[in-house]
Amino acid sequence: MSDWLFFIEVSLAGLGSGALLALAALAFVLIYKATQVVNLAVGELLMLGGYLFFAFAAGWGLPAWAAVPLAVIGGGLVGAVVERGIIRPMLGESAISVFMVTVGLGSVLIGLVELIWTADPRTLPAFISTKPLFLGEAYVSRKIAVAFAVAAVVIGIFLLLFRFWRGGVALRATATDQAAAYSCGINVPGVFSIAWIVGCATAAGAGILLGAIGGISPTMGVFGLSALVVVIVGGLDSILGALVGGLALGLIQSWTGTYLGGEYTNVVTFGILIVALMIRPYGLFGTHEIERL
Amino acid sequence: MFRMTRRAALGAVAGLTLAAGPALAQEEEIVIGASLPLTGVFAFAGVAIESGLNDYITLLNEEGGIDGKPVRLVYEDTGYKVEQSLAVFNKITSSEDVHFYYGDSTGFAKTIGPEIERSGDMVLAGASFATELNDPEIHPHAFITGPDYSEMVEILLEYIAEESPGATVAMINSDTEFGRDPIERTKAKAEELGLDIVLEIVTAPGAVDVSTEVLKLRRSRPDYAIFHGYVLAPLPEFITQAKELGLETQFMGTFWSMDSKQWADVGEAADGYMGVMPYRYYHDTAEDAPMLDKIREMRGVYQHSGYMQGFLSAMLMTEATKRVMASGEELTGDTLKAALNSIQDFDTGGIIGVPISIPGNSVPVGRVYRFDAAAGEMMPVSDWITLGD
Amino acid sequence: MIIGTAKETYRADAALLTTRPQQTWTGVLALVLIALPFTLNDYWLYLVCLMTINAVAATGLNILTGFTGLVSLGQAAFMAVGAYTVAWMERDLGTPFPVNLVAGGLVAAGIGIVVGIPSLRVKGLYLAIATIAASFILHFLFVHWEAVTGGNTGINVAPARILGTELVSYFGLYWIIMPITVLMVLGAANLFRTRIGRAFIAIRDRDISAEVLGIPLLRYKLMSFAIASFYAGVAGGLWAYFFRVITPDSFPFMASVFLLAAIIVGGMGTIIGALLGAAFMTLVPELLRFVMDWASPWLPNATVLLSPVRTIVFGLLIIGFLVFEPQGLAEIIQRVRRFFRLWPFRT
Repeated sequence: MSDWLFFIEVSLAGLGSGALLALAALAFVLIYKATQVVNLAVGELLMLGGYLFFAFAAGWGLPAWAAVPLAVIGGGLVGAVVERGIIRPMLGESAISVFMVTVGLGSVLIGLVELIWTADPRTLPAFISTKPLFLGEAYVSRKIAVAFAVAAVVIGIFLLLFRFWRGGVALRATATDQAAAYSCGINVPGVFSIAWIVGCATAAGAGILLGAIGGISPTMGVFGLSALVVVIVGGLDSILGALVGGLALGLIQSWTGTYLGGEYTNVVTFGILIVALMIRPYGLFGTHEIERL
Repeated sequence: MFRMTRRAALGAVAGLTLAAGPALAQEEEIVIGASLPLTGVFAFAGVAIESGLNDYITLLNEEGGIDGKPVRLVYEDTGYKVEQSLAVFNKITSSEDVHFYYGDSTGFAKTIGPEIERSGDMVLAGASFATELNDPEIHPHAFITGPDYSEMVEILLEYIAEESPGATVAMINSDTEFGRDPIERTKAKAEELGLDIVLEIVTAPGAVDVSTEVLKLRRSRPDYAIFHGYVLAPLPEFITQAKELGLETQFMGTFWSMDSKQWADVGEAADGYMGVMPYRYYHDTAEDAPMLDKIREMRGVYQHSGYMQGFLSAMLMTEATKRVMASGEELTGDTLKAALNSIQDFDTGGIIGVPISIPGNSVPVGRVYRFDAAAGEMMPVSDWITLGD
Repeated sequence: MIIGTAKETYRADAALLTTRPQQTWTGVLALVLIALPFTLNDYWLYLVCLMTINAVAATGLNILTGFTGLVSLGQAAFMAVGAYTVAWMERDLGTPFPVNLVAGGLVAAGIGIVVGIPSLRVKGLYLAIATIAASFILHFLFVHWEAVTGGNTGINVAPARILGTELVSYFGLYWIIMPITVLMVLGAANLFRTRIGRAFIAIRDRDISAEVLGIPLLRYKLMSFAIASFYAGVAGGLWAYFFRVITPDSFPFMASVFLLAAIIVGGMGTIIGALLGAAFMTLVPELLRFVMDWASPWLPNATVLLSPVRTIVFGLLIIGFLVFEPQGLAEIIQRVRRFFRLWPFRT
């Protein structure tokens, strides 16, 4: 009996961290869907979000309800600057070149954070209560529960926006066919900007949650690699894929960590990635593109 | 291609002019070289170590140096990267006459090890307490200013065996070279002392959420849990969650996660955290510690525990140099190491509370401290424990 | 002004060095390479050797990415495979170092073929990500296959020996590292005068067209992986003899990014690009050290800024070259050459 309880507790923790993965994966998907750019700097944007929150909450002493939106907006602003400054000039270049630009961007962001806040790891001011939560008898860390709730709400909002909001429809239209979207009068560069702004803001938000759980440091961007696995498995252009993939990976990582040991999580994660690539290269929920000469 | 080589050639000319320098300088001063991680993930320690090394050397020079010759520390930043560290080593040793070198990481110590043995004219100290460096057979010219990581955990285990014989212990290690270092010896020592290791946790590098690990801890309910391979994160989260769940496990750590200020920043959750520390803290006002008074005179604010490590390293390096010069021998790796090993019941001026000896490559002494959140400081809970007594 | 060179045979057209100035400069370069170790001190010789080892690995990556169009972020992991093979053979078999180096290259090539298998189904970004996954899985093996790799502590490598003398100084090592590098680079340059090299380029330009033209994609893509990994393996072997210790953390994921950045900065798809890129990216962090030293009177904490500034400059170089100079340093060199060749006219 207690073993079942333990299993359930472990699974709940896995779902919680899976929700965080899904949120970070969402940032990948938003940007990829609109602009066909795989943004490897998502992990670093996450980190930046955590540090912005740190600056507003610990540096300026703002309360959490003010610091969280400010950090998210800050992330969005960085997204806008990045899109106009270095992504737009790359329009029409090969996907690999743009991918490498985002790798460079990640390096620049790490350097800037180290320059401003030094490389020392820091703890975010507590803004989530630390009281434990019990679902029936099962224990859940409250921070993980909050992360799960936030991620669920945000992903839900995005699903609705894509379905009903004009901008969301425009984004889907751009994703389907850029030229056709142009000719229908959709402001495609505008869509690009919005996708980057919203994507980076989402990443910043995920970074605050992540930082609240594990503290912040310039190396926390490696979390982005796990999120990358999620989007490859789920499909680069599928929000639903990010959600399902995120939760699934969270569960799997939690189970391997518990039953095999923490050192196996990375190898299992990337093993899944390779298997997924071999079986469904375009992801579980992704669009299969047919290439023509 | 041509432009590159010309640049390199210019550098060569610059290098050669520098190389001609030491022959003159040798007569007048003693040079200690150092690769210090002033930036990067280990910067918090590197900066403190640099102050520690320099402060002791300043004190020594004010008293006339060694035999009237001033001591000078030559160092550069490495960003805690092995290749940078090697570049710094090569740069410094090719332009200065160095007999003591302070390295910044285990990786660096291992990489440069063969070169140190080959050249045979220097001894390597450093910020690494890796167990494998503490083997005079393999690393005859290496030296650790304190107990190695395994010895640190052994000190903790001896303390535990003393306080509550037969207690259950959990080992929590990070999945890095640093984290895995003492695992084997911990198990052996625990068995020898009759302690029961009920849980072994290895956390993935960069793991954020520790709640699954806390769940494991909750199931096995150990009396003690020893962390090794971390600096700060994710220890506070671990301790907070465990306290929430009503666990009575006593959490413990090793040197690099024992800085007093860092736990003061964590606040209430840190109360009761324990660990092993080879040196006294900055705020320690023990009677027999004249050096700490001098340190407080020089530095008005709290100094990181890495400062003491640097300070004592400089003290022991210069002491060995002094002994070799007094005997009239040449400064080489062998003579310096022999001088270090000749250090018996040496008074460190209170940096360590007992007279120390260096039987092999390490100083196997430490003391268990406990963090008191109300005072905001680490407080000693044991006497000085010397291994092998 | 040189007007041009008329070539009368295909042989002459495909030759590596076509003009007199090219031949002269290559001769000068050879002399410089021979004179180098006699003039440099240990610090600069260390950098030259490091640069040279990186150049071998970058050349391999350039064959895969620059010439075949298959992006890999796992080159450093293949270097690690080569380094571990060499270290293991040196420790357990005691075979002479040339044998070890070749074996290191071959083992890496074998692993490279396995890692290249997903390239049949996926390409572009997905392939890049598959190679990231492969490098993390290899890292896991290095840590946990303790019997062979020595686990986290790694393996100490005995020095390379020639005729009973141990090569321990940088001066001695230079004489094995540099000739091997020259050989490997010449091999790469000659590869693209053959059918195989041309097939690689056809695949890069459009793989479906290449298949229509009768190039078996499977075989050539895997061959490209094998060759690139062979280069990485040999570079890793040299690395092992150079640093004399190998641990799982010797080749972090960032080292793969570094190599990819080196060929982007140097110029993808040119032999000289990989060399320039490797040299440039190895030297820039060191030059920044001198810049910071020089700036220290004005910037009080200049030394503390060095590491973040390096990280930023590394990123900016990648971005800057991709945005402003996608052909890399090789193109800049070409422009300079063209300027002198056409002088006094302007291009």
